[in-house]
Amino acid sequence: MEWAWLIPVLSFAAVPVIIVLGRFLTGKVSHRSAAALAIAAILGGFIVFWFVFAGFLAADTDTPGCETGVGTEALTCNYKLTWFEAGIPDALTDSFDRIHLEWGILVDPLTIAMLGLATFVALMVQIYSLGYMHGDPRLDWYYAFHALFIASMLTLVLADNFLLLYIAWELVGLCSYLLIGFWHERPEPREAAKKAFIVTRIGDVGLLVGILLLWSHVGSFSMLETFAAIEAGELSEGVVTISALLLFLGAMGKSAQFPFHVWLPDAMEGPTPVSALIHAATMVAAGVYLVARAFPIFSESQTALYIVASIGLITALGAATIALVATDLKRILAYSTISHLGLMMLSLGALGYTAAIFHLLAHGFAKALLFLGAGSVMHSTEELDVRKMGGLRKVMPITAILFSIGALSLGGIPILAGFWSKDEILIAVNKELPLIFIVLTLLTALLSALYMARAMFVVFYGKFAEQFEHVHDAPKTMSITMGLLAIFAIVFGLVALDLPGPFKGIGYFIFYHEGHGLEFVIWLAALSIVLAIAAFIYGYMAYARKSVNLEGARQRFALPLKVAEGKYYIDELYQWSIDRVVLSFSRFIAWIDRALVNDVGINGPADVTRLLGHGLRRHVTGYVYSYALAMALGLIGLAILWWIVST
Amino acid sequence: MVPLEAFQVLSAVLFAIGLYGVMARRSAVLIVMSIELMLNAVNINLIAAASHLDGMGNWANFDGQIIAIFIITVAAAEVGLAMAIILRMYRNRATVNVDEINLMKW
Repeated sequence: MEWAWLIPVLSFAAVPVIIVLGRFLTGKVSHRSAAALAIAAILGGFIVFWFVFAGFLAADTDTPGCETGVGTEALTCNYKLTWFEAGIPDALTDSFDRIHLEWGILVDPLTIAMLGLATFVALMVQIYSLGYMHGDPRLDWYYAFHALFIASMLTLVLADNFLLLYIAWELVGLCSYLLIGFWHERPEPREAAKKAFIVTRIGDVGLLVGILLLWSHVGSFSMLETFAAIEAGELSEGVVTISALLLFLGAMGKSAQFPFHVWLPDAMEGPTPVSALIHAATMVAAGVYLVARAFPIFSESQTALYIVASIGLITALGAATIALVATDLKRILAYSTISHLGLMMLSLGALGYTAAIFHLLAHGFAKALLFLGAGSVMHSTEELDVRKMGGLRKVMPITAILFSIGALSLGGIPILAGFWSKDEILIAVNKELPLIFIVLTLLTALLSALYMARAMFVVFYGKFAEQFEHVHDAPKTMSITMGLLAIFAIVFGLVALDLPGPFKGIGYFIFYHEGHGLEFVIWLAALSIVLAIAAFIYGYMAYARKSVNLEGARQRFALPLKVAEGKYYIDELYQWSIDRVVLSFSRFIAWIDRALVNDVGINGPADVTRLLGHGLRRHVTGYVYSYALAMALGLIGLAILWWIVST
Repeated sequence: MVPLEAFQVLSAVLFAIGLYGVMARRSAVLIVMSIELMLNAVNINLIAAASHLDGMGNWANFDGQIIAIFIITVAAAEVGLAMAIILRMYRNRATVNVDEINLMKW
């Protein structure tokens, strides 16, 4: 378990090797070696993960480095090294005026879950990329960025202090920028990459301020020490609430919560495997992970929890409605991700710690599968507008089946993974929050099933679109990885059950305060099953068999439809505020810079000096006798002065 | 016994003549000569002061004389340097009139 640091380090190590090899090798050899190195690194990480997992299951509080975690009460293992010490070491007090920074790894159930998800999805995505990115001229860079991306994410989940977490956090942001803008020859990916970077950066500022606020009150970046201090009530309630909200601001940016969700749909301009990675395992999972990791801070503040839940619900519902009317296959999936991230945040706000992480995992497998399926469709049809597609199962049956599994899982059809995790969220929301929350959550669940049904039936079923005659199914590298993900999307939910053996089921593994077995509220489960099945049947009739005519509904709800299709005009709002507010303010600042700083502050002294010099140079007459006169007068003056002083 | 004041008056008169020469002459050579006059005025003053220090006309204190010898030495060197500069000046500008040597003026 002490070797868990190897998981990210393997991928980190692969990055420079890939780049250097890419310099010396050319063409196919360079591409093959890059892919082989990146995949080998993450495969190594995946293998190490299983050893870590096994070691963790065998460990107890007597194992060196392990103890009962603060807040979670789950087994938490912490291994650290001194990074550096600054200040004057004081032999007597041993603490005075010293900054002691450590870096280390924290292995607890949350970390294990994230490591498993991230290494597995990244491995699948990288193998898939072999087929998808085949022949791309910059494949070596693609794999280098991929390796760096996943290494940063793994560092992020392993970090035992906020400083290391922040470094990894920013690296994740950087890599997403590089990968979203990978095809930077076209303008849209460039713009999307910048948007993703800048929007998440707004949240990152909040995260940084939150970390520093905690540090200024606790005096340590260490998570465990911070949580212990909060548990002991050393921090006032206001500080806890504010720092929780600042951390949440960072999570909102990364996890694309309203109003920072705008970058995620645009990020679809990147290569599809990258979208799969961003949406399932890395970038957006980081925000949910952060809130879960800092849960001892959040759980101390009722206000913070309410805000987390409310933002989550707004995001989940809003994004679900947009997903229902979007016409671009990848964008449907993107809004679906935003909606599900909202559900996870909602669950965390409702103290549903287990449910949120469970849903993160289940959603991760299903969404990676869906994106890889969408990538497969896009790869062979080069089309993303769902209105032009139809009946693709005839030409790409494997993709159709696998995509449908992902859609059904995410839609919440029983025994598939998405059903179990969504059920846990519903239970948590029902238990902790007012009635309106559970009603809206159920509505979101219904919409979620509906848009998944729509995506699946419109693209793969119904009338065959003739122009796709020539289309072929996915190559082996792509279909095998999708198949493996599909297995997880089907069976992963079963970990919710009480299992024999050391693992015992997810409720006993990932928990906050105390473990619990499978919970089941009959009426909620029944309601969610009915809603999901009804949604899929309706979707089948409306989009595949076309036996339900939607035109009437479209005309009756013309206005809300238009608003949702316009994505609630949030992008326009941002554009307006940037044009009107930010740019006006910038012009004002620019004016201050030109008029005050430059003309007065910098040119001013120069002008004064020049004018003075202009006047003063007249005393340099060039006649020797005037200098002699000056010297004589000066001497006489000095003599008079001396005479006055001495008498 | 010549009183000290007489030497000081002589010294002051010589110094004033030298100063006038420095300020009024146009010729660089005459200016250098005027400077020499001022230096010698100072020398007279120093030696007179040295010889009167004990109030009996004895050479009781050598400080003034030593400084005077230093001044003579330095003055000799200074004249050598000044004449060399004036010579170069004459070679280049065909004049030693300092009013015409005004390249460094503003």
